[in-house]
Amino acid sequence: MARNGVSPLSLGPEKLPSRAGLVVVGGGVIGCSIAREATRYTPDVVVLEKESDVACGTSKANNAEVHSGIGEDAGTLKQKLNVRGNQMYDEFVRGLGVELKRQGLLIVVTQRTIPRDGGMPEEERMELLTRKIPAGIVAYGENAGIRGLRILSRDEVFRMEPNVTREAVAGVFDPTYGLISPYKLTIALAEHAVINGARVFLDTEVTGFRVEDGAVRAVVTNRGEIESSLVVNASGVFADEVADMAGAGGFKIHPRKGATLLFDRQVTAEYVRSSVAEFRLPGQRTTQSKGGGAMPTAEGNLQLGPTAIEVEDKYDTSISAEEIEEIFERFHYLLPDFPRDALISAFSGVRAPTLEEDFVIGASEAVRGFVNVAGIQSPGLASAPAIAEMVLGILHDLGLPREPRPDFDPVRPAPPKFSELSNRERNRLVREDPRWGNVICRCETVTEMEVVNAIHSIIPATNMDAVKRRTRTGMGRCQGGFCHNRVAAILARELGIHVTEVTKDGEGSPVFLGVAKEFLGGGTR
Amino acid sequence: MSAVRRPQCVVIGAGPAGLGAALAAREAGLGDVMLLERDFELGGILPQCIHDGFGSIVFDQVLTGPQYAQRFIDRVEAAGIEVKLNTMVLEMRGDRRITAVNPRDGVFELEPASIVLAMGCRERTRHQVMIPGYRPAGVICAGAAQRDINIEGLMPGRRVVILGSGDIGLIMARRFTLEGAEVEGVYEIMDHPGGLTRNVVQCLHDYDIPLHLSHTVTFIHGRKRVEAVTVTRVDENLKPIKGTERRVPCDALVLSVGLIPENELSKQAGVELDPLTAGPVVDERMHTSVDGIFACGNVVCVFDLVDWVTQTAERAGRSAAEYVLEGGRRKRRPPVRVTAGRNVKFVVPQLLREFDREIELFFRVEHPERAARTRVLVDGEELYSRKAKMVRPPEMVKAGADPGGARRELENITVEVVTEEEEA
Ligand SMILES: Cc1cc2nc3c(=O)[nH]c(=O)nc-3n(C[C@H](O)[C@H](O)[C@H](O)COP(=O)(O)OP(=O)(O)OC[C@H]3O[C@@H](n4cnc5c(N)ncnc54)[C@H](O)[C@@H]3O)c2cc1C
Ligand SMILES: Cc1cc2nc3c(=O)[nH]c(=O)nc-3n(C[C@H](O)[C@H](O)[C@H](O)COP(=O)(O)OP(=O)(O)OC[C@H]3O[C@@H](n4cnc5c(N)ncnc54)[C@H](O)[C@@H]3O)c2cc1C
Repeated sequence: MARNGVSPLSLGPEKLPSRAGLVVVGGGVIGCSIAREATRYTPDVVVLEKESDVACGTSKANNAEVHSGIGEDAGTLKQKLNVRGNQMYDEFVRGLGVELKRQGLLIVVTQRTIPRDGGMPEEERMELLTRKIPAGIVAYGENAGIRGLRILSRDEVFRMEPNVTREAVAGVFDPTYGLISPYKLTIALAEHAVINGARVFLDTEVTGFRVEDGAVRAVVTNRGEIESSLVVNASGVFADEVADMAGAGGFKIHPRKGATLLFDRQVTAEYVRSSVAEFRLPGQRTTQSKGGGAMPTAEGNLQLGPTAIEVEDKYDTSISAEEIEEIFERFHYLLPDFPRDALISAFSGVRAPTLEEDFVIGASEAVRGFVNVAGIQSPGLASAPAIAEMVLGILHDLGLPREPRPDFDPVRPAPPKFSELSNRERNRLVREDPRWGNVICRCETVTEMEVVNAIHSIIPATNMDAVKRRTRTGMGRCQGGFCHNRVAAILARELGIHVTEVTKDGEGSPVFLGVAKEFLGGGTR
Repeated sequence: MSAVRRPQCVVIGAGPAGLGAALAAREAGLGDVMLLERDFELGGILPQCIHDGFGSIVFDQVLTGPQYAQRFIDRVEAAGIEVKLNTMVLEMRGDRRITAVNPRDGVFELEPASIVLAMGCRERTRHQVMIPGYRPAGVICAGAAQRDINIEGLMPGRRVVILGSGDIGLIMARRFTLEGAEVEGVYEIMDHPGGLTRNVVQCLHDYDIPLHLSHTVTFIHGRKRVEAVTVTRVDENLKPIKGTERRVPCDALVLSVGLIPENELSKQAGVELDPLTAGPVVDERMHTSVDGIFACGNVVCVFDLVDWVTQTAERAGRSAAEYVLEGGRRKRRPPVRVTAGRNVKFVVPQLLREFDREIELFFRVEHPERAARTRVLVDGEELYSRKAKMVRPPEMVKAGADPGGARRELENITVEVVTEEEEA
């Protein structure tokens, strides 16, 4: 049943291999980027992920922004890798079937950047707001290697985004900024790695390492051991704990939650077209984050957020009432008439900062063969190509083959999406298989065949959320009200399980708790 | 792709509204009526409404949802109306071009002479009422839960908390109980129930299910599956009162927090929507702002009685037929807008164009009131008046008035509710 070595438990666990050239711990965007890059040199790569799908950690719950690097502090590794990562992105996603939209970011300078009552003569204040600050932003970016930044007049700001506050005085347009679906990217990278020989094991938790003579020898998991002398720790918020398991730690991750509100696509069409952020001077940022903004997702829904709140629990993806209010309040100034009631969803992700607030990437000095890729908070997604490049450099030094493989397949075929096809193409597919004509999710126009394809893809979708990440079922206005039972039925049929065994996102999350009459002592499954 | 077909009338959605409209259009003389439904069966929401309470006005009988639907389905089949099931309308343009898809025909286009919109409603979700917390399995809307149990035979919860006391929530409280699940309680943010009194009595009181008014759910606990919810009392501004939180263990949260007319297609076609009903602005013929496009049932506004849905459907179907038979040439008169007066939330139809027959107006009140009198004022003259012991937001009110044919220069029609107290 398992194809290409991918085998979630629900498909019958395949035995782990006894050894591997490289083991990557964590199937987030970082682990999958590194794995995919490694397969350019060797097929002998294994990815271990404790959840039932890849992209189940922070890589599924972020803002999808491929930043240019303008928001990062000069001199940090974060800024360096972000600027480089952004420049590498088009090449990085080529052949993956995932779209990067370089739609640009509008940074708005507003009256409150320098408050009127601050005692500064008005002429001087306006000079600062309309000229010096925008010029300063551009100079700062150019100094970091960001290209194409452009100063905008107040009128140009409104032409670009008619609904931003009348308090806007000037702007800077950052054209290299883009958007990409973070989970689609992660899934595509994982599949591309598998196409090139890697193996991805889901539901597989790393519980320890065997370290001998100061070098890593094996990875211990809930499903057995894999011998390997090269290990990459890309376990996100858990990177400190995983490093400590090997004695390769020495850093601490303090989880910081971020909540984002998600709006109906129509809002994006009518209200905010590109991504908009308000420029704030360092002292004016209320929270430890880049301030966020209003930005579409890669799929076009508008997002507002994120917040930044220190939490104890690394699994704390809850959203509080205060956070929701905070977001609306924060953006009320920038976008005064924002249509609140178009809210369709909200989500929260956990950042993985270290105390130093910078990426921690390097070979462990204590344990040979163990490479930490930790502290990958925002802009981790934007930096992913450059992080992978840097880690590959380290791995080559530790013995990973340096010769590119001649048989590396550059293409990961992406399954067609009904909603994006022309009617002619749609009809060709329906003639091939009538399931292409059966619309399952009416809000997002997803057909039965797309659900089936997701379930039988290289990294198979084995639960509702996994299908949703690949096809958008249940992501629309009704949030699955109409389609949840249809998707569950298809999952049950395709996986050969009873529908009461279908989960939302893996073990412990059944969608249904029984069949009718069962609680009365009757009913049969 | 075969040539574009041009039926005389295409009805989108085959709930009671669509069934009734298709029949009316057929009976009013259209030979080529087509009914498109995305589900695998006819009836819309009714097949899952296995409780009784349907048809008391139209049939003077108490029927279940499936029984009510079946009466229309039989007639639709007998009338030779072309029905396409599993057929999803993907797109509708203002020039009445429709794109639809199904597994048999693939993607196909239609250019009908008239269209009746009958797409019904969808349910409001947890985010539209902004319930904070986690996003585990087990948070489900009441109508979806009803479908799970009554159509699919699946139980979405075993120990259930219900938020919202709308009719669907009340009916589901009873349904879960009859299925052996435990309903811990129904919580309602307002200080009065959202559903009909008969449902409060028959679905909650008869089963000893507590109704907590002025309460809401303020947090959903559980990372994978719902483990509990926090319920909190609210003040008169509906804000949660600190210190009144209570954690209620449960494995499902069922939401009955309102319906939203499903008007995505209407928007595509440029049909004007009423922000108060979230449905198309219609005139007394159920004609929308777009020529040749009519609408009826829950897509226009949320009706609580299916009988009234059927009445609007008949009107829409008949009007569509008239429109087609007149060759779409009749000039529409400039409308008079119906004003929602004191304690009236919205009125349907919103516009009146012709006054040669009795007009029927459906409306909801904003807040409950005792000893109230409903009246319709036509240019200041009271042409309809009816006393009620009580008016309540969950119960839609129907009022009729006969403006007396000839008088066509009307300026204002107002529907309002006045109390004895105020009149005194
Ligand atoms: C609210 C928010 C918004 C953001 N917005 C942006 C943005 O717009 N642009 C941007 O560039 N960045 C953004 N980021 C940051 C970005 O999301 C992260 O930098 C990136 O996703 C990190 O990827 P990762 O692979 O390191 O971590 P993860 O995606 O968390 O992957 C780590 C994986 O390791 C697995 N794992 C952990 N422990 C074990 C174990 N013991 N055994 C096996 N597997 C294990 C986890 O299950 C997880 O799947 C945002 C972050 C947040 C929180
Ligand atoms: C749970 C519940 C309990 C109720 N109880 C009672 C009661 O006791 N007594 C009473 O009188 N009334 C009751 N009602 C109200 C009554 O059922 C509704 O008012 C009535 O069903 C609305 O009819 P409709 O045709 O407008 O919408 P629906 O019945 O919702 O039908 C709409 C149809 O349109 C289809 N559709 C939508 N979009 C498309 C598209 N793009 N392409 C193709 N097809 C589409 C849908 O699939 C659906 O079949 C209840 C309603 C509910 C939900």
